[in-house]
Amino acid sequence: MIGLTPEQISEELKGYSARLTEGMQTLRRVGEIEAGVSPRDPVYREDKLVLYRYQPQVAKPHPIPLLIVYALVNRPYMMDIQEDRSMIRGLLAAGIDVYLIDWGYPDAGDRNLTLADYIHRYISHCVDFLRERNQQDTINLLGVCQGGALSLCFTSLYPEKIRNLVTMVTPIDFHTPDNLLTHLIRYVNVDLLVDSFGNVPGSFLNFAFLSLSPFRLAGQKYVDLVDILDDATALKNFLRMEKWIFDSPDQAGAAFRQFAKDFFQQNKLIRGEVVIGERRVDLAAIVMPVLNVYATQDHLVPPAASKVLKDLCRSRDYSELSFRGGHIGIYVSARAQREIPPAIAAWLISR
Amino acid sequence: MADQTQTVDSPKPLDTQFIIDQARGYLAFGEQIAAMGQQLQGSAATGADWGTMLRENFAQFKTAILQSADDPNVNPELARLWNQTLDLWQQTATSLGFVAPADGGGDAWQAYRGVQNQYFDMLRNAAKGALDLMEKQLSERAATGQMIGSLRELYNLWVDCNEKTYGQMLRGSAYAELSGRLFNSLLACSPKRENTP
Repeated sequence: MIGLTPEQISEELKGYSARLTEGMQTLRRVGEIEAGVSPRDPVYREDKLVLYRYQPQVAKPHPIPLLIVYALVNRPYMMDIQEDRSMIRGLLAAGIDVYLIDWGYPDAGDRNLTLADYIHRYISHCVDFLRERNQQDTINLLGVCQGGALSLCFTSLYPEKIRNLVTMVTPIDFHTPDNLLTHLIRYVNVDLLVDSFGNVPGSFLNFAFLSLSPFRLAGQKYVDLVDILDDATALKNFLRMEKWIFDSPDQAGAAFRQFAKDFFQQNKLIRGEVVIGERRVDLAAIVMPVLNVYATQDHLVPPAASKVLKDLCRSRDYSELSFRGGHIGIYVSARAQREIPPAIAAWLISR
Repeated sequence: MADQTQTVDSPKPLDTQFIIDQARGYLAFGEQIAAMGQQLQGSAATGADWGTMLRENFAQFKTAILQSADDPNVNPELARLWNQTLDLWQQTATSLGFVAPADGGGDAWQAYRGVQNQYFDMLRNAAKGALDLMEKQLSERAATGQMIGSLRELYNLWVDCNEKTYGQMLRGSAYAELSGRLFNSLLACSPKRENTP
């Protein structure tokens, strides 16, 4: 058909079946997939939180530590997923002293954790720990995606503790017309969800992400996988990403309730109406240097959702770094490794 | 002591059966295309024009796909191919313990089933639209002499068309409202709520 003959189709199907049969053997032999490759040491623990310091790769790292605050959804090893795809490795190579908060996996005992717990307690304690450990009044903060929103809240509440703020693919205006996640959650009864489960199951969030592009993410991707089943390296890379995609922690119920309602459904962050504990978040309190990193083809956090920060904060040293790619590619693509960590490191070191 | 690799709870390993199922869907797609190719070849021997041949034979392909949509038992592999979203949804619901009671369930379950049927209809309409779009794009290619070089290329075109019509549906307010109702009606079936006085 249009150049395809039945014989050609038949041959292609035979070849595909053969690759599938052989490849399944390879897949069963591939063994444990590890993710998170850079050596690191736990330096602080609180409840399920572990604060890690990545072992510096230069003799004398930059004196101001960088604290990475990752999202509560998904796991932070995306930042260090394999040797040639590691934003953390790039930052270390550029001389940055990198710390990262691992939130762990909330369980039933964490259902009442609020955003106030995450911001006033967990992030705040990590920041204070690093200030004391490094004998610095201020540290650098890098927030990723939802972690960026949490970092903005923290920084607006405690501006005196943050020297420079970097936000990566961070949603700020949740009601831009192209925000699909807001679109999907708009009519969800969040109270019913949280009241039904206590913690919100990670599998629900996974469904939401996959349902944005099901024919590619749940179909075509696996059809194409058969083509690389005989390539052990490519297969392991694929499986590493799969591990990350489906490694979705449950969300602490109370924190999810507030984030879904106040940020997604009611878009309070841009109006200065988010209240954490008893304190109102005013992004205008952010006056330190800000680097806002976004991805031009991000389908989860559209650029417009991030770029609004420029108008809301009062930093006189506000910069943007645009990456031509998507929400995941900004961490793991080969080009991202060349472009993003060196740019962030240079920006930090010069301030 | 340095912690070099993640000490996380192990997520579910990649389900090899899932990969096999997706591959079977692709093979079923290929078999339908092969059948259509044979018919096209037969029609070409009679000297019919290409546009007419494509319309007639694509209609049969479309019927086969849609039959599998209406009744997955007709061709489960083919049904799985286009029915990704509903499958994902049902797997998620099942994994969380939402299993339909054998006796049909109470009012909450009946309400959920009604909403799920509406959701299914909406997905099916998008899938139908994708087949129409695919036919249109194939006709346009034929008219300009553009070749489809492989079955995979044709499959990729089918995926592109589905993503396009699905994406249009997804962005509409009707989908947001319906998927919200689907979610909420499922939650209303949770045992905890049914036990609440």
